[in-house]
Amino acid sequence: MRTELLAPAGNLEKAKIALLYGADAVYIGGKQFSLRARASNFDLDTIKELVDFAHELNKKVYVTMNIVFHDDDTIGLDDYLRYLDSIKVDAIICSSMIVVERAKAITNLEIHLSTQFSLTNSYLANYFYDEGIKRVVLARELSLEEIKLVQEKSKADLEVFIHGGMCVSYSGRCTLSNYTSLRDANRGGCAHTCRWLYNLYEDHELLSNDYDFQMSSKDLDATEFVKDLVEIGVSSLKIEGRMKSIHYIATVVSAYRMLIDDYYNGHMKDLKFYQDEIKKAENRQTSHGFFKGDTTIEEQLYNQRSEIPTKEFVGMVIGYNKDNKQLLIEQRNFFSPGDTLEIFTPDKNAVQFKVDKILSEELEELDAARHPLQKLLLNLNIEVPKYSMIRKVSYE
Amino acid sequence: MRIVARLKKITEIEKLINLKVDCFLVDTPLSVRAVNRDLFNELDQIISYGKDIYLLINKMIHEEDIPLVKQLLKTVKDKKISGIVAGDITMMVLANEQGLKDKVIYQPGTMNTNSFDNEYFFMKQIKGITISKEITLEEIIKIFDNKKCELSLVGHGYLDMFYSKRKLITNYFIYKNVVKENIMDNDKFRIKEEMRPDSFYPILEDESGTHVFRDKALNSFEEIEVLKTEIDDFFIERIFMDDEEYYDSIKAYQDHSFVNEFLSKYNDHYNKGFYYQYTEKLKGDLSEN
Repeated sequence: MRTELLAPAGNLEKAKIALLYGADAVYIGGKQFSLRARASNFDLDTIKELVDFAHELNKKVYVTMNIVFHDDDTIGLDDYLRYLDSIKVDAIICSSMIVVERAKAITNLEIHLSTQFSLTNSYLANYFYDEGIKRVVLARELSLEEIKLVQEKSKADLEVFIHGGMCVSYSGRCTLSNYTSLRDANRGGCAHTCRWLYNLYEDHELLSNDYDFQMSSKDLDATEFVKDLVEIGVSSLKIEGRMKSIHYIATVVSAYRMLIDDYYNGHMKDLKFYQDEIKKAENRQTSHGFFKGDTTIEEQLYNQRSEIPTKEFVGMVIGYNKDNKQLLIEQRNFFSPGDTLEIFTPDKNAVQFKVDKILSEELEELDAARHPLQKLLLNLNIEVPKYSMIRKVSYE
Repeated sequence: MRIVARLKKITEIEKLINLKVDCFLVDTPLSVRAVNRDLFNELDQIISYGKDIYLLINKMIHEEDIPLVKQLLKTVKDKKISGIVAGDITMMVLANEQGLKDKVIYQPGTMNTNSFDNEYFFMKQIKGITISKEITLEEIIKIFDNKKCELSLVGHGYLDMFYSKRKLITNYFIYKNVVKENIMDNDKFRIKEEMRPDSFYPILEDESGTHVFRDKALNSFEEIEVLKTEIDDFFIERIFMDDEEYYDSIKAYQDHSFVNEFLSKYNDHYNKGFYYQYTEKLKGDLSEN
């Protein structure tokens, strides 16, 4: 059984992009019961459309129901579960036992345990397996060695985070946001209080300088460990970030797809190749998290200006006119004639070209592409598929 | 309702017995946010006083901790222990191997937020669960209305709100290239957020990571009057609290007429937590749990 690449998706477009760029499965949150419900565009019909789309590609859709349920949150739970079952969602991801037990009682849904549970050992993995949970998402606090030990003893399939943001606290065990902002971290309201700036005192003596005590973590980048994780036999490698852009999703998914496939095909490139690909969209500092054991200062952020420049995403291909040899694109960021652009396709080809002119849909020549979501025409001799990403190349 | 007090030193046992404490919560080598882990070595002596004894095993249990947990459970199996207060359900699984499952009180801090949780753990035949600390009194009452297993609350003291495996204070001083002694288990550290100048949040680093606490302690003097007929255990937390205030706290729960005197002395330290404050959901920002 090959290890699955699992990608996040905040809306239908992102989900399709993730699947087209190489994810074996996507996880989404519906408008109910999900930690990212605020961001969700997945009403029931959209979930069905995605499931049908994914199954056509022989791929999977998991639906997160990972809020920590209060009594008031249970309204409509049974109907929602039955609906997900009826449209053949491949699994639900949950953290409250009421969801687990209701899903077992009234559906045939496969159940995965969310990382909100912070599962850290094989005994608990086996307990939940015996409770009817097929897969557990491991806590991000586990080292590679610990993951190996859990995998050796676990009856449940293991899912491991390999890329994206990390809670500084054990997931599900933090109420900083609740207390400081009255926003429930375990029901989708996290205010990211752990990323704020603090001064540190001992008794009344100030020990820090100008609020430079920070708890923030760098994002996770586990490219270095993918080979080991696949060899260990974990079932799924998970990318975080349902709120990320389509460019980010396409780039990161594609890079990990290449890495996993290259491993299976026996011709892995230097890791720097995959890491450089990811850097084209990654705008946060990254580290290997806990994979090498306890974290050091290298895994922490101490400078709030953590974001770094990226290769800029300027548009997405939505069509190609073979007769006129023109791309129809949807603009996302500024570019102008003379800029060198790179087109990055779902099948991982890259095409570079210099913009000679930019036309509106009405064939009016423009001095620049200035308006997000405006449809524009660009000359290009090579046909590229719909959903290809376009990014600006800069030479420094 | 049993009053559960955290034991800090052998020499205070008589004092706590005189305050009519029903049960001592004793730290173990697998306690986080401990007040005195060495007390575990004095367990036989503590037991000899004849009070109920709960052991605190609230560390997140990683694979490497399993042998120590098993050894600890074997050690206490034949001792007169009334409960094992567990932060991780793993303890239920491991206690079951030793025939101790019916001693486990599942106290994760968060997670026990709805009526079904108490039904689920009733079916699992553990001793009980501690209701999560971030829900309202109304929600707590609703759970009590559907009571199946023993229910408890950590209803007084400075409650933790963040548990990280990262050693955030140690790493900060490494980052600053400052040699700093006495970080581990030092209860004098506080953090202050730049937009909240009046709030000092206790922060504690121990062998298991870093913990951040509420700036104000919780009191439940009025609320316990509503809950006391149904509640089984009422935990009184003492971390960051001096001994005199702790003893006065216990006295006020045992004798309601002492509450006003208590509050006139200590009121500035306290608030009502989430009892009357519903937290909003679904306003999350740009990240993923």
